[in-house]
Amino acid sequence: MSNLLRRIEIPIFITIIFTLIQVIPYYVYIQPLDDAAAYIQRWILICLALATFVGVLSLLLTHGKNLQKRSKGWYFSAIVVVFTIVMSIVGLPLAEVGLGAANPIYLFLYNNMLQPLSGTMYAIIAFFIAAAAFRAFRARNVEASIVLLAGILMVCSNAPIFTVTWPPFKDIGTWIFAVPNMATNRAITIGAALGLVALAVRTLMGIERGYLRGGGAEQ
Amino acid sequence: MVDLLAIWTAVFFTLAIYSILYRDTAWYRIAESVYLGVAVGYGVSVDLLYVRNQWTTGGWSTPGVMLAGFAIAVIMGILWYFRFIKQYFYLYRWPLSIIVGTGIGLALRAVIFVQFRDMIVAQVRLNLWVPTNMLTTFNNILLFIMVPCVLLYFWFTGAKIRETAPMKVVDKIARYTMMAGFGSAFGYTILTRFSMFIGRAQFLLGITPNPPENRTAFIVLALLILGSMIVYDLFFKKKS
Amino acid sequence: MAFLEKFMDMDRRWVYLLSWIFVLAPLLYPLGLPIPINQESIGWYNYIENIPAGSTVIFAPMYGTSGIPELFPMTVATMRHLWSRPIKVIVVTFWTEGALVFNILLGQVDPTSYGKVYGTDWIHLGYIPGSETAMASFARDITGTVSADFLRGQPTTSYPIMANIRTAPDIDLIISIETGTPGYTEWLRQWQAPYAVPMIVGLIGVSVPGIAPYIQSGQVSAYLPGLTSSAEYENLIHRPGLAVAGVDAVSMSHLMVVILVVLGNIAYFASRSSKGGKK
Repeated sequence: MSNLLRRIEIPIFITIIFTLIQVIPYYVYIQPLDDAAAYIQRWILICLALATFVGVLSLLLTHGKNLQKRSKGWYFSAIVVVFTIVMSIVGLPLAEVGLGAANPIYLFLYNNMLQPLSGTMYAIIAFFIAAAAFRAFRARNVEASIVLLAGILMVCSNAPIFTVTWPPFKDIGTWIFAVPNMATNRAITIGAALGLVALAVRTLMGIERGYLRGGGAEQ
Repeated sequence: MVDLLAIWTAVFFTLAIYSILYRDTAWYRIAESVYLGVAVGYGVSVDLLYVRNQWTTGGWSTPGVMLAGFAIAVIMGILWYFRFIKQYFYLYRWPLSIIVGTGIGLALRAVIFVQFRDMIVAQVRLNLWVPTNMLTTFNNILLFIMVPCVLLYFWFTGAKIRETAPMKVVDKIARYTMMAGFGSAFGYTILTRFSMFIGRAQFLLGITPNPPENRTAFIVLALLILGSMIVYDLFFKKKS
Repeated sequence: MAFLEKFMDMDRRWVYLLSWIFVLAPLLYPLGLPIPINQESIGWYNYIENIPAGSTVIFAPMYGTSGIPELFPMTVATMRHLWSRPIKVIVVTFWTEGALVFNILLGQVDPTSYGKVYGTDWIHLGYIPGSETAMASFARDITGTVSADFLRGQPTTSYPIMANIRTAPDIDLIISIETGTPGYTEWLRQWQAPYAVPMIVGLIGVSVPGIAPYIQSGQVSAYLPGLTSSAEYENLIHRPGLAVAGVDAVSMSHLMVVILVVLGNIAYFASRSSKGGKK
């Protein structure tokens, strides 16, 4: 029985069924199928929300091992574990016992730790980009020159100091956005759409199994 | 007092991340570890709140199809956690298949229209002769040429047909078009990244609506953190 | 030419220091550079200004704390503009941190100062997990997908604003302020394609190039690209805020990048030609 349940055909079959339940009623109105699609769309959100502890457990397992073995940098793992547990517990939606989004510890951690840390993590890329632009952005050949020229003109177009000094910078930037950039992205969009359709067809045929990998050999 | 603690905590963590600009430091590692813990733990609150609301006010507690559906959803939710048990890993694939299948179905049914048909219709509808506006005419002609060239460039990657003379022209047009497009992306990337830095700088300097006390904390903590890194490099790093 | 080689290979921390100077200086000592108003912000302003009275609009802050520096100013300005008009606003998000981002806004902007009543003129539905699936479910069954509001935890059907709101066709416009996925592509697939709900999108600079085809095709009716346009918009609604305060720093930082790239290339070509001469 256990060997039967392990077979890879079961999740592939489930994927195909649930894909068709969403696709068919969109093109062919069949009342029961349409109702089933709507029901599943709502139902699946609960399923997804209940997976919330997967990330927490993964983190605790990885850093818990470091902590246990006293590996190099284990004290940083201790910090990760402590803050994961504290944030998870104080955020539980139990307003009756004072936990949840209104909990003062939760709000403190969100407003004074998560917000500045998250914002700064992404903000730091500005420095790396500036340094990279200085060290690597070279007009080595025709194509690199086009990238350089378009890039610099776009930078000038986005900064009022340039557009006030010489207003045509804005028009040039608008042209670059509306013509070569638009052409590139339109082609990429169409290509991506075809790629998505191909991926969906492969998944429906059971050829695409990448999402099922892991946990040892497939049956 | 709590406000002061809040301000100094936020400023400290901001500067701790920025310490990486000097070099990899313990300050940065501490901040990174805290970020990891808090970010992963944060989602628990909003996800479980949604489930709770659906149970209490969403009708899932109604006996019948709804209650049965909720029970099955909870069981599927529990199956997610079998990914951590190698022996029963196959159970984790079932809710995953449901999610993937539904997601692919929802995306597939509309992508044909939104990202394929509508794009082609818009391309075909380009007006190649606008007598009142020669610039628009010129732009539309360029688009009429550029988009198919870039598409052909992608589609025939690695094919022998790329060696033919017409395709070499197509390749050149496509490459130059894409280079200009990527240059545009670079320009906007600079805007985004520096805008994010400016937002953090406004916070550190206490510019309204940020509390003005931030500036004091910024100056003091910046000197302390920078000083500690320099002192470590001068006196302790050599010895080790 | 040894100087040029040294210049090109200089420690990147000098570039970091320059970045700090070029950003902090104009924030501490504003230059007061004029902010020209461009077509994107005019288009955005006009679109919101021309929303018919009595319309119901979805406002979706689809970003987390990482996007606050660039998107929060336009979020605040847009909400001020919406609340100054006789239209109903439903706030909902499909990003985990979006709900709390909007709560930060509520700490700075008081809707009652615009005469707006919670539950009648606007409502905060919070976060719905599930990304594109949640957006599809929300379109099919709004009050079923979100059964309780975020601020008070009461059934959504108990609020007057939700009295005639059941499915996507009951919504007149989507305003999405976003940084990535889920974003405008998912809105287009799940709301615009099946139900023809118009949408306008405010987005970070990095996402702007990708939206160009949708602007040209008319699938997205208006867009607001990044911090500079946010500053222009703040001026249009006569409520200068963080974006206006930061525009001088945008100018100086961009000037620094241009100077660095130009100098780097001059040094590169000079160094190359001197090496070629020595041969």
